[in-house]
Amino acid sequence: MSQSTRLIHAELFKLRTTSMGWLFAVATVISTVVMFVINAVSANSLLKPFDQFVALETHGHGHGGRVSAEFLARLQSEWQLGHSAITQATTLYTSGQLIGVLLACLLGIVLITGEYHHQTATTTFLQTPRRTRVVAGKLGTAIIVAAASWLVSTVLSVVAGAIFLHHLGYGTELGHWGVLRAILLNLAAYAIWAVFGVGFGALVRSQLGATVAATVLYLVGASAASSVFDLVHTYWINKDWVLTLQVIVPEVASAVMISPTKTFDQSPAEWVGAAVLIAYGIVAGLVGTSILRRRDIA
Amino acid sequence: MDDGRIVVSGLTKQYPGLIAVNDLSFTVEPGRVTGFLGPNGAGKTTTLRMLLNLVMPTAGTATVGGRRYVDLEQPDRVVGAVLEASSAHKGRTGRNHLRACCITAGLPLSRAEEVLETVGLMPAADRKFKGYSLGMKQRLGIASAMLGDPRVLILDEPANGLDPEGIRWMREFLQGLAAEGRTVLVSSHLLSEMQALAEDVVIVAAGRLVRQGAVAEVLASMAGDTQIQVGTPDPETLAAALRAIGAVVQPGGPGTLLVSRTSAAVVGDTALAAGVAVHHLSTDQPDLEDVFLTLTSEKATIR
Repeated sequence: MSQSTRLIHAELFKLRTTSMGWLFAVATVISTVVMFVINAVSANSLLKPFDQFVALETHGHGHGGRVSAEFLARLQSEWQLGHSAITQATTLYTSGQLIGVLLACLLGIVLITGEYHHQTATTTFLQTPRRTRVVAGKLGTAIIVAAASWLVSTVLSVVAGAIFLHHLGYGTELGHWGVLRAILLNLAAYAIWAVFGVGFGALVRSQLGATVAATVLYLVGASAASSVFDLVHTYWINKDWVLTLQVIVPEVASAVMISPTKTFDQSPAEWVGAAVLIAYGIVAGLVGTSILRRRDIA
Repeated sequence: MDDGRIVVSGLTKQYPGLIAVNDLSFTVEPGRVTGFLGPNGAGKTTTLRMLLNLVMPTAGTATVGGRRYVDLEQPDRVVGAVLEASSAHKGRTGRNHLRACCITAGLPLSRAEEVLETVGLMPAADRKFKGYSLGMKQRLGIASAMLGDPRVLILDEPANGLDPEGIRWMREFLQGLAAEGRTVLVSSHLLSEMQALAEDVVIVAAGRLVRQGAVAEVLASMAGDTQIQVGTPDPETLAAALRAIGAVVQPGGPGTLLVSRTSAAVVGDTALAAGVAVHHLSTDQPDLEDVFLTLTSEKATIR
């Protein structure tokens, strides 16, 4: 067995022999189930004819003209975007993604920060004094575990989603390339977020600091970025490319990458999102590794 | 067994506002236990960590068998190190900790069982690390250091937290390893421990080398001023006679002289030749712990 294979094997063994491993598995399954239910409820409305959709969305208050024209227009646009079995199949089949990539990122972080948090760094770096090899092993491990998490989440979502769509009278839509591509790009998102996590963990050594920072950035990053770019667009540079530039925020890049339809009106092509996310992964990995190589373990 | 000599050369570690290790050089030979001795804060741990590529030196080099630790392809098979009692994950069992080490090092999992047996930890092998006593943690540390059957053993304050029986077990274990031709470097802040364990000693204080050599020689040189107490009714005559043969004589109270740079036998012979009666003759062994403290406290310990 080559050294890098051994290191990955050892990291997987270490995950299996603490509570970390099954906590991650349980979180993956629970988040997939919860997000699938939310997406299924939404798909159930959107796939209905428009008048039934309005009735569902307004809880029956839509009859008798009590819904404002403005609200109705918004519902109309939402329904037009979502009233497609392909779109809903994509959303359902990638249900685990929203929380799943965050979990993959956190796993990547903890693989590094856990060494300091649990004071195992001495043992680890004594056994493998070439620290870039340690980081490489953890990168490989993070990608493998993230891919496994994607597989579990995808199998759950596709099986449940296909049954659900069949129940509504639609096909599985799995023959549609856009749907398959979204599922595969979703795998790439899991892997890249895991790589980003390893780099981020090397950068921010504190376990609590790194995980909290990553979670907050992930959860509010996209909406915060959207507000900032909207302000710039409205008050400063009134050009469309300003809004397109939102893709430099990792969360936005991730959404752009896997979404089969446009995430927002000015969003660039999927590959731009992928390129941005990969660039973040590489930069975080390189900077984190170079810092970690010189850091004293005391 | 291959050359397992440790060579530390001009090793220096500077932290902001503190030089933890200052131009330190010494050699550790295979086949003997070498004590690395100094008060707390002398830079022992920092030195050992620089030797093992855990702390980056500001200047200088440290090699094992002529190679830097970072350049060892299979470090587990060359150097075994026990640096702190808590270097395993609290939630993992001792056996699984050792197995993870085996996988990393490319060793068969059966080595984990063998070293558990060696250090007598088999009964606690499936208990989680957080339930271990300090002594059990030390034994697990030694077990993981022994996995690759290394020719060099480095231990940082291994006696900490051990009961007397554990200390004796450790002493016999390390001396046995040295007898097999391995290099054994053990740090400690207790001179008495090193007197019982080590053949060679490297003494440091305030990040600098104080003495290095065989324990007996270093102790003899430390104890160079052995004093002889002699009681006589005629101190003036005896003092003159002793000074005449080159001894250093000081008054030691009524009818008593304190003599150094000679031996009790010479003092007795000189008294006989001078025709002076001797009522009392004794040699004072200076307390080595005191001498060690004096020697190392000359370098300020709080920096």
